[in-house]
Amino acid sequence: MLGFLSARQTGLEDPLRLRRAESTRRVLGLELNKDRDVERIHGGGINTLDIEPVEGRYMLSGGSDGVIVLYDLENSSKQSYYTCKAVCSIGRDHPDVHRYSVETVQWYPHDTGMFTSSSFDKTLKVWDTNTLQTADVFNFEETVYSHHMSPVSTKHCLVAVGTRGPKVQLCDLKSGSCSHILQGHRQEILAVSWSPRYDYILATASADSRVKLWDVRRASGCLITLDQHNGKKSQAVESANTAHNGKVNGLCFTSDGLHLLTVGTDNRMRLWNSSNGENTLVNYGKVCNNSKKGLKFTVSCGCSSEFVFVPYGSTIAVYTVYSGEQITMLKGHYKTVDCCVFQSNFQELYSGSRDCNILAWVPSLYEPVPDDDETTTKSQLNPAFEDAWSSSDEEG
Amino acid sequence: MTSWQAHQRPKDAKVVFLLSMMQSFSDSGGQTPPGAGEVCALPRRLIPTWPPAPLNTAQESPGVRALGGSQSAVGVGPCLADVVRVSASPPPLPTLTGLRDDKLTPSSSSPGLGGTPGETVRHCSAPEDPIFRFSSLHSYLFPGTIKSRDMSRKRHHLVPETFGVKRRRKRGLVESDPLRGEPGSARAALSELMQLFPRGLFEDALPPIVLRSQVYSLVPDRTVADRQLKELQEQGEIRIVQLGFDLDAHGIIFTEDYRTRVLKACDGRPYAGAVQKFLASVLPACGDLSFQQDQMTQTFGFRDSEITHLVNAGVLTVRDAGSWWLAVPGAGRFIKYFVKGRQAVLGMVRKSKYRELLLSELLGRRAPAVVRLGLSYHVHDLIGAQLVDCISTTSGTLLRLPET
Repeated sequence: MLGFLSARQTGLEDPLRLRRAESTRRVLGLELNKDRDVERIHGGGINTLDIEPVEGRYMLSGGSDGVIVLYDLENSSKQSYYTCKAVCSIGRDHPDVHRYSVETVQWYPHDTGMFTSSSFDKTLKVWDTNTLQTADVFNFEETVYSHHMSPVSTKHCLVAVGTRGPKVQLCDLKSGSCSHILQGHRQEILAVSWSPRYDYILATASADSRVKLWDVRRASGCLITLDQHNGKKSQAVESANTAHNGKVNGLCFTSDGLHLLTVGTDNRMRLWNSSNGENTLVNYGKVCNNSKKGLKFTVSCGCSSEFVFVPYGSTIAVYTVYSGEQITMLKGHYKTVDCCVFQSNFQELYSGSRDCNILAWVPSLYEPVPDDDETTTKSQLNPAFEDAWSSSDEEG
Repeated sequence: MTSWQAHQRPKDAKVVFLLSMMQSFSDSGGQTPPGAGEVCALPRRLIPTWPPAPLNTAQESPGVRALGGSQSAVGVGPCLADVVRVSASPPPLPTLTGLRDDKLTPSSSSPGLGGTPGETVRHCSAPEDPIFRFSSLHSYLFPGTIKSRDMSRKRHHLVPETFGVKRRRKRGLVESDPLRGEPGSARAALSELMQLFPRGLFEDALPPIVLRSQVYSLVPDRTVADRQLKELQEQGEIRIVQLGFDLDAHGIIFTEDYRTRVLKACDGRPYAGAVQKFLASVLPACGDLSFQQDQMTQTFGFRDSEITHLVNAGVLTVRDAGSWWLAVPGAGRFIKYFVKGRQAVLGMVRKSKYRELLLSELLGRRAPAVVRLGLSYHVHDLIGAQLVDCISTTSGTLLRLPET
């Protein structure tokens, strides 16, 4: 560490390298910390978590009881022991609360004044954070599994919604109605995700084992259907391409948007090149996945080798993204973990599970160096036994 | 397998080669390597030898304990720790050919190879005496390369591999067991596994089939194994075939074996012509698992009747309307034995107390009659497919059923 600092000081190393190295070291040291807690509000399992991208301070959680809670993650007290308090919540007594389980919540990408939530009660609700009222409600014919709003786009405010029907609906927040439908899947859409690199690229994952990449400006259909065998590309065969050998449950772009990770119920996780849809054939081994709905996993951001955090039963498995090696399994939850999010400013991981807990995984710092021995020995020694002679042998 | 192989780990490959190279230098009995000022008997004193064995003698047995000792190295870096702790006794040379591939390709040229220990030395945070001596050894061996490499080494290697390593060691389940002694390439693994296939059971009508999961049990890094298999597939040495019972299970067959067996199977039958045309034109050209309608009719000029012949011959299996999987004729029996045998071996683990069994005990038991392909064949497959967890214990490898 000192070597890094001196190299940075003298200009031998780029400052970014030190930052990445330190981030990587912190991520590798993630563990449960007895000093950090998240207040327990939910009465049911927690389905979704989202941290606001602006400051990384506030976190939303949606539970299977329909409750949405907003937490403040910042530790403004001077003590090391800190509980992340709930700032406010939309509980069962709120007039506009979702009737059934909340599946996805997401902050508005550009500020914390607004957030969206979608639920099994076939609605997508847009909330105003300051007044905690719904600003808009979109109704659908089928239960909503997942929704996502583009994190980088400034040209459109489309929210992609994946429901139990095979059509992906794009709702426009400006006009308040559904503007597009994307057709191509055959069964329910379990996960949708916009690319963090391009404004108009959307990835959708469905229970028919297919993952499709769309450009929403294009009227004629999807750009690519991902094929796990990397077979020859020909139009006639698009129908036979499958990304997984089971339902595809979760989607996550890497932070630079160049690669896409997918998990499926065939217990596999695959890494794809998002520009040409090629399977990079990185093998992560068996990634247990029994979820009937979407699985929300996340990728680290800002480390020298990126890590992916995948809920694996009641633990969270950590893999390096590009080499497929399993780093560790984070154990701490009592029941199945459903979602996890990564806070990239402090390299912390928050995970929610069916045991109604949100756990905070914090990088474990070095053990505090014990103080000099003199202070401890002095306190232990009874003054009656102390002598007035100096303990040094050199003095006369 | 000899006991030293039981302790060998993939990362030792680099060390192994390095030590043999050092031995070759010292063996030249004081001949100066090109450009070196003085090469004295430095290697002997520098490397901490435990047990004390001079560098020049090639003894296997001291190497056993020394290599075993390397497992408990403190977190400085696996290659570095191995370099420091592994004693001066060089490994037996035959392993080198197998070990070259994945770990050594970045440092294939000798200055690059010599540079590696120096590089690992550089970013070590806790300098220990042997390491400094080792770096000076490096400078003796390759003096001409030092100055130009200093700056570039610093630039590229201050990014901490050490940080990563410290954490990974805690996980610590990298085991070495007799089934996994092979840190080498996928090709070596394939040859070894083909030996396990019972040819006599099928009266030599089936080519030896190896499963992809078995290769994973011998080559611990799956991504590397996948890439090597893909290379072999592209070179045309192996064919990968979809075995029907599980979409994930891929069978691997050497192309030569496949060709001879298929020709023998279709001898004298009405579809022989179509099969021969298929083997001659399609197999070398297209290395995929599956074939499409337009590919077959337009590119290779097959008529529909010929495609029907191929399906009847067992060379193609229907996948979807207009697409077919490549298949092995007569593989049905193999798949039946395989599925039953897999269930039986899993059942052996399941029925044991606490649902776990020592690997040595499992291999020592008598196989139930359902297991026709051999116990070790199935055990490789179970380990590679992660149907059992491999845990290293003091009494050897333990196979345990996962809780989920």
